[in-house]
Amino acid sequence: MVRMRISMRGLLVAVLSAAAVFGQAPAAPAPARAAAPAGYRAPRAYDGHADLSGIWFTTSSANWDLQDHSPQQGPMWELGAIGAEPAGQSVVEGGSIPYLPAAAAKKKQNWTNRRTTDPEAKCYMPGIPRANYMPYPFQIIQSPAGILFVYEYASSNRLVNMGKPMEAGSDTWMGTNNGHWEGETLVIDVTGLNGLAWLDRAGDFSSDEIHVVERFTRVDATHMNYQATIEDPKTFSKPWKINLTLYKRVEKNAQLLEFKCVEFAEELLYGQYKKK
Amino acid sequence: MKRGAFIFVLGLAAVTAWGQYVAPKTPWGDPDLQGMWPGNMGVPMQRPAAQGTRTELTDAEYAQRVQTAKQQAAADAVDVGAPAAKPGIGPPSYWTERGTPTRRTSLIVDPPDGRLPPLTKVEETLRKEARGGKGFPGEWRGEAAAPEDLNIYYRCITRGLLGSVIPVVYNNGNQILQEPGYVVFRNEMIHESRVIPLDGRPHVSESIRMYLGDSRGHWEGNTLVVETTNFTDQDAIGSNGAGYPGDPGHHSRDLKVIERFTRTGPTSLNYEATVVDPKTWTKPWTILIELKKDDHFQLLEYACHEGNYAIGDILSGARAEEAASKKN
Repeated sequence: MVRMRISMRGLLVAVLSAAAVFGQAPAAPAPARAAAPAGYRAPRAYDGHADLSGIWFTTSSANWDLQDHSPQQGPMWELGAIGAEPAGQSVVEGGSIPYLPAAAAKKKQNWTNRRTTDPEAKCYMPGIPRANYMPYPFQIIQSPAGILFVYEYASSNRLVNMGKPMEAGSDTWMGTNNGHWEGETLVIDVTGLNGLAWLDRAGDFSSDEIHVVERFTRVDATHMNYQATIEDPKTFSKPWKINLTLYKRVEKNAQLLEFKCVEFAEELLYGQYKKK
Repeated sequence: MKRGAFIFVLGLAAVTAWGQYVAPKTPWGDPDLQGMWPGNMGVPMQRPAAQGTRTELTDAEYAQRVQTAKQQAAADAVDVGAPAAKPGIGPPSYWTERGTPTRRTSLIVDPPDGRLPPLTKVEETLRKEARGGKGFPGEWRGEAAAPEDLNIYYRCITRGLLGSVIPVVYNNGNQILQEPGYVVFRNEMIHESRVIPLDGRPHVSESIRMYLGDSRGHWEGNTLVVETTNFTDQDAIGSNGAGYPGDPGHHSRDLKVIERFTRTGPTSLNYEATVVDPKTWTKPWTILIELKKDDHFQLLEYACHEGNYAIGDILSGARAEEAASKKN
């Protein structure tokens, strides 16, 4: 498990950004990472910050495989082409995930056994970052009590604490989420993840040492950039980054529906114990 | 924040008193219901028939309830390691949130006798004949041929819309969040976050069915009114998503639940829910849960399904028992 790691620099930037919001000259040093593309200023929420509320989803095939992949047979040949995996381009900056040797072997094993061992197949909570690029929409609720992410998949959700940072308690699937604004960008520091969730259907994974820093930045009226920096010294040789686009659902009747998937996983999990 | 107008007049109908308190407003002008509103266990769903239409305990009955709570607390403190402890599927007793005793005689406030109205004839027959005479799996009766023999609470699917808020022995946290155009009602019980639009949009198509239904909210003065339809008939309505004691809680797809959230003071909120399902009950019924604000309460992630050993163990145990009885 990884407890809170809020760098002094991060706090300083947060304080300076907050000052900027209240109309004072932002004397912040150049941000370490690219902020919003010059020129786009998102609509404002009730508190003057960028408004990220709404229903979002990705069109990437990142949930199949974060890295570059050709189309191929899925884990269930019985489903024919319906179960096949579409091709996709890597959403990992630099192309590939820097696994340590033992972890690379474990990933291969995960791939081989993915039909029955992917936590998504079991309807387990998706963890962070995977929740954000699964093929289900999610809604961001920007409230005075914090920023809530509600995911359609498995009714999972997480409340991002925007107040004084909290230290992670027990490890959880969705982590302890501490957020702050860096100008137009919502930055979320995620600790206390249990490391049981996979990162995609290809068996990419982490340990409970995983620490994720996410950056959500609106780039125009209907698109948002999502970046996640992932570090886990037990699994990866260095930190690496996911970078993908989230699309806003613009239909007038767009809303989250329910995908309580436990019952769809019961045959897989308990079928062997049923009365024959 | 206008608190001065809050007047609690004993003996008047509660609704009159509630009307006096004006909730603070959110920055965008809606009544502000936000905060942590954990439930307090200890009021039975239905009132014992002997108490008639009496909504509060007598002094003697209340003293008895307080005494029972004290004994329970003492028993809880004696850990699960007690020599007489039997294996079971419940949580260890020191986890339990038994709440503070109150004088209320039942959560049901209407009908006036505090009891569920009679079932319709159609529903009585349905319940008798369900699943070839086995009945609905509201309460587990030892059948364990397949997961479907266990109710949705055992299976960690959901406790249902009412069951997620009715206080039980653990995970009683509720939280309300708001943003312009939406209210979210979060329940710790199996990590629910029900997003309720306030923009007056119509319900989704009748073809779409959900365990927690499809909710639409609007304001009536200081009260948030939420109407929910589009339920499945696979869940159960009652204290834990599995019905209420002695009853499977089965209802029809015509179920409609009308919830009313009203702040009655700086740290109190009344949650009322009226259950309307003419195919199942001969008349509507209403529960009232008085919630107290506690911003120190933390909603923790309840990974119920992820940690569900019960289903696999119950089913495999039943198979082992059958195999053993064949040998004998």
